[in-house]
Amino acid sequence: MQDALHTSLGQLTLVAAGYAALVAVVALVVTARRVPRPTWLDHMVWILELLLVVRAVAGVGSMLNGQRPEEMSAHVGYLVAAVCVLPIAMQSIAEDRGTWSSGVVTVAALAVAVVAVRLQMTWGHGA
Amino acid sequence: MPDSTPRSGPHKVLLTFYALFTLAAGARAAVQLLTQYDDAPVAYWLSAAAAVTYAAGWVAIRRASVGHTGFASVMLWVELAGVLTVGTLSLVQRHWFPDASVWSDYGIGYGFVPAVLPIAGLVWLHRQKQQEPARAGADR
Repeated sequence: MQDALHTSLGQLTLVAAGYAALVAVVALVVTARRVPRPTWLDHMVWILELLLVVRAVAGVGSMLNGQRPEEMSAHVGYLVAAVCVLPIAMQSIAEDRGTWSSGVVTVAALAVAVVAVRLQMTWGHGA
Repeated sequence: MPDSTPRSGPHKVLLTFYALFTLAAGARAAVQLLTQYDDAPVAYWLSAAAAVTYAAGWVAIRRASVGHTGFASVMLWVELAGVLTVGTLSLVQRHWFPDASVWSDYGIGYGFVPAVLPIAGLVWLHRQKQQEPARAGADR
């Protein structure tokens, strides 16, 4: 994984993974405090989504430039999941600002963090 | 009369887990069955079965959240039995699992979430059943 720091694509993936983990922790704290979901948490989620879209576009760009991930089908699957998970999760709590809706954000952000790490692993060859 | 739209509550978190695991197990099983079938067919088919279980669990919890707890009462036990059976088999019959399945070693590859999920679901369902008669009584 330390090889990831040598390419801008790898750096972007690690930033996305780290930020996703941060969003998950913050959302967990909000859930534990049992308050309605604050709008700034939504903003954090959409910033994360923006990062993931940039990462996906950059990833597709690299592949079009002839670079091939080591595990092609798995990598493409993770790329699609990375972009789709948050909008679907946010849709499911669009009209629900209750305490547990922050729990949904926690789970979705955690999933995205794992997906980002798996993106890096399936890309392989020193990213 | 139970409300037709699911209320806010912990079931939303459960539904998120079930949706994610349906996706994760389903995609994993599809990729492995299609690209490396001969490596570990038993493990890959069991991953596909896990995906179907999670999809059914999602439906079951959604129905239970609006008061129809029957399907969830069956489905969550089926899921728990599945995790425990496959988890135990993966430990005692290692040669059936040259490659891991979703429920191998009780879901170790997914941070044991597969083992915790049906238990959390059953706890939620138990509370849900206790609340429903009270709600139905209050509506009358």
